[in-house]
Amino acid sequence: MYAPPPSPGPLADAPDRILAGRAADGDTRAFEVLVRRHGGLVRAYATRILGGATDADDVVQETFITAWDKLPGLDDLSAVRSWLMRIANRKALDRIRSRHPDVPIEDWDDPAPAEEGPDRQAEAGSRRASLIAALDRMPDAQRQCWVMKEVGGLAYDEIAEELGVPPSTVRGLLARARRRLMTEMEEWR
Amino acid sequence: MNANTPADEPHGDIVDLLGDYLDRGEQPPRELLENSPENDLAFAALVRMREVAATLVEIDADGSGEPEDDGWVQNILGSIQREVRSGRSIPLTHPSPRAELSLTEGAVRGLVRAAGDSVDGVLIGRCSIEGDVGTPHAPVVVRVEASVFWGERIPELAERLRAAIGAALLQHTELAVEAIDVIVTDVHLRRSSPADTPAAAAESETAVADERPVAPHEEGTAE
Repeated sequence: MYAPPPSPGPLADAPDRILAGRAADGDTRAFEVLVRRHGGLVRAYATRILGGATDADDVVQETFITAWDKLPGLDDLSAVRSWLMRIANRKALDRIRSRHPDVPIEDWDDPAPAEEGPDRQAEAGSRRASLIAALDRMPDAQRQCWVMKEVGGLAYDEIAEELGVPPSTVRGLLARARRRLMTEMEEWR
Repeated sequence: MNANTPADEPHGDIVDLLGDYLDRGEQPPRELLENSPENDLAFAALVRMREVAATLVEIDADGSGEPEDDGWVQNILGSIQREVRSGRSIPLTHPSPRAELSLTEGAVRGLVRAAGDSVDGVLIGRCSIEGDVGTPHAPVVVRVEASVFWGERIPELAERLRAAIGAALLQHTELAVEAIDVIVTDVHLRRSSPADTPAAAAESETAVADERPVAPHEEGTAE
């Protein structure tokens, strides 16, 4: 009578560390709460790395399936959120790599996705929208470095490892991305 | 000072340099910014870029672009391998000497979780069973992480948790449980029923190492 059946229960309140620990031990309900809690973030992050929503759903799916498998080995269970972003990062890069077999990352450059037009217009005017638009116009490798750094919070050498390039390349790509955005940002003021 | 005057360096290099300070979480030296309005503006722009970057996923993560239906969650849950967590095999005696009976470690952890969930005010996290569980009557230590609701008395809760887990293990397994260690790793708020949430001013008797309430300010502190 008192308990509404579909309620997520007290687990919905649980800190990440508790949920991750339970999921590592095989509790699928706890894992489900983690999926709901961080699914949006993973999707958003993947969308930025990929440069569009295409494939983002697949990346979300692959990210959580991998996370479930690897959770028992995660040392710092309270860091599950940033760990999920790392996995998403890798899955998204795998997608991009498969689009560009044998092309060095500096030359990755997909045409900006046309599918998001109406969405963009709805958001027009906000700084966030301008940033998204600027990112969309940016070459793939620059955008990925920038997103990994500024949104994902990865260090140079971590980005270098993920991309399989020397840290000096990352530094160069990141600087170019920043310069480019700074030029575009003059329009924001 | 002996700063090798970055003012006449090309614009691109100063962005690199300022970006490095930003990435290290450091404030650039004052003279670098004060002596050059251009550098000052560039650094401000980098900082602002980072601020907007943070909103890039926050707003998305709020659910915009998230499918309304639950299909994506169900797809994920339907694809994960549930058997991988069975762990070690824990023998149980059986009336017939010719029959073998055992529990998986994963099942025992499930028992521990269920016992922990029966105690109000606490949530169990990771559970480990240390010792040679494969040998009957070998001593084992059960270790659980737990999070308690804000305002609960931790020593009492830990005691109730120990009792509940001990009783469940005694009833369902033959493990020689030597100790049940409870490690309180978090304190959290009840988000689902804010009415129960005591004010943040509640005196904290928490002797907890790792205290991070999930939503520190439930009732808006708008000014």
